[in-house]
Amino acid sequence: MENDLNKKIYNRTLLLTVALLMVTLIVIVIFYQFYIKGFNQTDKGKEYDKYYVMITDNRKSSFMQAVYKGAFDTGQEESIYVDMLGDSLPSDYTVNDLFKIAISSQVDGIIVEADESEEMTRLINEAVDEGIPVVTLLNDNTKSSRCSFVGVGGYNIGREYGGQVIEIINEKRTAQEMGNDDTLNVAVLVNSNNQTSGQNIIVSALQETVEQRLGSSSDTEINVVAVDNTNTFSVEESVRDIFMNQDIPDIIVALDELTTTCVYQAIVDYNIVGKVTILGYYNSDTIVNAINRDVVYSTIFIDTAQLGEYCVEALKEYNELGATSQYFTADVMLINKSNVSMYMTKEEENAE
Amino acid sequence: MLSRFWDLPLRKKISGIYILANVLVFIVNVFLIVGINGMSLEMDMVYQDNRQLNELSDALDDVQDSMTTYLNAKTSDSLEEFYRSDQAYSMLIQEMNTQITDMSYDRMERNIKYMSENYLLIVRQAIEAKRGRNVEKYRVRYESATDMYNYLSNYIIALNREQFAKNSENYNRLSKSFMTFEKISVIVLGAVIVGNVFIIISLVSRIIAPLGELATAADEVAGGNLDAELVKVSSKDEIGVVTNAFNKMVVNIREYIEKQRQSMEVERALKEKELMMETHLKDAQLKYLQAQINPHFLFNTLNAGAQLAMMEGADRTYEYVQTVADFFRYNVKKQDKPVTIGEEVNLVDNYIRILNVRFSGDIHYEKQVDERLLNVEMPSMILQPIVENSVNHGIREMGDKGMIRLKVYRDRDRVCIMIKDNGKGIGPEEIDRILRGKVVLSEDKKESNGIGLDNVIARIRLYTDDPEAVSITCEGEDLGVETIIRIPNTNTENENV
Repeated sequence: MENDLNKKIYNRTLLLTVALLMVTLIVIVIFYQFYIKGFNQTDKGKEYDKYYVMITDNRKSSFMQAVYKGAFDTGQEESIYVDMLGDSLPSDYTVNDLFKIAISSQVDGIIVEADESEEMTRLINEAVDEGIPVVTLLNDNTKSSRCSFVGVGGYNIGREYGGQVIEIINEKRTAQEMGNDDTLNVAVLVNSNNQTSGQNIIVSALQETVEQRLGSSSDTEINVVAVDNTNTFSVEESVRDIFMNQDIPDIIVALDELTTTCVYQAIVDYNIVGKVTILGYYNSDTIVNAINRDVVYSTIFIDTAQLGEYCVEALKEYNELGATSQYFTADVMLINKSNVSMYMTKEEENAE
Repeated sequence: MLSRFWDLPLRKKISGIYILANVLVFIVNVFLIVGINGMSLEMDMVYQDNRQLNELSDALDDVQDSMTTYLNAKTSDSLEEFYRSDQAYSMLIQEMNTQITDMSYDRMERNIKYMSENYLLIVRQAIEAKRGRNVEKYRVRYESATDMYNYLSNYIIALNREQFAKNSENYNRLSKSFMTFEKISVIVLGAVIVGNVFIIISLVSRIIAPLGELATAADEVAGGNLDAELVKVSSKDEIGVVTNAFNKMVVNIREYIEKQRQSMEVERALKEKELMMETHLKDAQLKYLQAQINPHFLFNTLNAGAQLAMMEGADRTYEYVQTVADFFRYNVKKQDKPVTIGEEVNLVDNYIRILNVRFSGDIHYEKQVDERLLNVEMPSMILQPIVENSVNHGIREMGDKGMIRLKVYRDRDRVCIMIKDNGKGIGPEEIDRILRGKVVLSEDKKESNGIGLDNVIARIRLYTDDPEAVSITCEGEDLGVETIIRIPNTNTENENV
């Protein structure tokens, strides 16, 4: 009996040691599997079915970034990767170059901030011929066979601007700052090489609105001032040129984000805050802050996320059905002193 | 299976443990080596992507250069070169990834692949156009190809940069992992070795433990404690066998000792009994003899009888009683000291005289004694028993014809005493038995003085140290028996007297 017990103890010791060693080995194997093998898999990203690219001249602007983010987020849900083409390339390529790259890369869809140039038309058509649907963003190329245009409804924006101009006139009259006979100078800053229709529509809508309300013989003079945007830094220079003149307009309407920022900075620099009223474009942090500080009178809020979303959805629909709506228009809202706080908090929330 | 392990021979068991330990260390080592190998391979491969991209870039340059050369000079060498580089580049881009993932380099790789395909297409078209001398077309194609080439070069550079960033990160991670792995390896190896040492120590001590018990037990037994506890047998190995043998040995020794003790006990008891009996017997005999005679009383009585006979003038009676008194005095007095032959002869004379009175002078007694030898010493109570024997067995029934002859003479350095009768004699077997001491004194002989022939012969032999000191001869039936006793002559100074 005792012998058996002894043997049992012995066996238990032996079993224990064997078990201990087995455990050690298993731990090693597991460690090996997870630690070493796992290392190769860490790089694998999520895979996508489709590959869309967005091509624009001013990728760095927060406006385009916001649009891109909207498109990207929408794509994520649909297993589509939306790339901002040119972000990772060392050279700064033009839209046309990037477009060529996109075509030869055989992407599944192109979102392009187009213009009305013939070269653009040719490229869009080439892409469509290759079976790549093209969506124009913000600026259309109407002659091409692009499948869809996604914009902000220039007419609406123009009307908003018109409304603002009238409001400013009324305010000034009430404040006795200007007499009934005084002429109010309104300068609308338009990109000089702008062969796109977008800004033109805004300008015409603006003019139309003001004329409708005040009559054609109004004391409001609306001038279209061309801002040279052909070179990299020419916008800023052109804007400064305006202030070098003796005739500084009373109201400056800026039709894109960069111009708005430049004008804002210029009137701060020239110390004419209060003399010149700025109607801005887009709700970047800088612009929203400027409204809060009464430097910018109002700005147009554009639902950038919606813009991006529309782009992706248009392409997707075209891919799936072979056809889609010709036009998509994103929502537009006015931001001024009265509702700026709401946008500021929104921005902060977004930042978080 | 485990029980079987414990039953293995010691050598196999210990070797088994060592082999097990070594195999374990080996396995762990193999794992670690495989791991380290894998990691170093991985490290080698970290910048593989960049190397491949450089290769791709070079191949692309080759394609572009060879195309340009061909378009410039249209040499067959450059065309050949173009085909070769075209082939090489095609091979390279074939292996490229076309997946769209979160990773920018994956997407870039995909774009490069498609762009390259496109580029090659255009380049080939340019070459074809050149061969076909379609000037306009090849120029356009060339421009287009050059554009593509620039894009591609830039793209590859960008990808290379991207990959490099990623790979550097990987490399950092890898080298950190490598270091961690090294540390863990050392720890694991250490743990395994410690574990092994523990196992070896515990198992070996388990195996050796019975040996220790056995040694203790053996020591105890060697120290004389045979009642030491038996050692438990826990395995069937050599130790088990030895332990078993040891246990059996201890048990056997115990049993043997017990048996020995018992038999000694019995023997001792027997001897005790025997001794007791002998003592009792001697005691009885002594008491008996004591009871028989009070010599003083007997002598005084006999002397009184002798004086009475003299006063009454019965000379013969006086003489007889005197003889009897002398006879008994001798019997009482001379027992433990050597006597002279003369005294012994005198006793025989007295004895014959008494017998002749008792049996009315039936026995003829003839004496031939060398007077010079009467002073020679000899043991007492020798001659009378022999004479008594001759009378009782030889001549008792012969009436007045019986004769006893006593002769004392010298034979060289020995003194011979011869006693001869003319009785019926005895056979040689009887003589042999007598000489070997087989004839025992019979107690019922009332006529005897209690001393048998065997006693006489034994005493003479002891005295003379000579087994031939007594000889008995008989020449045939009715020719009587002759007994000769040879004793050393102690009276040599009297020889010439």
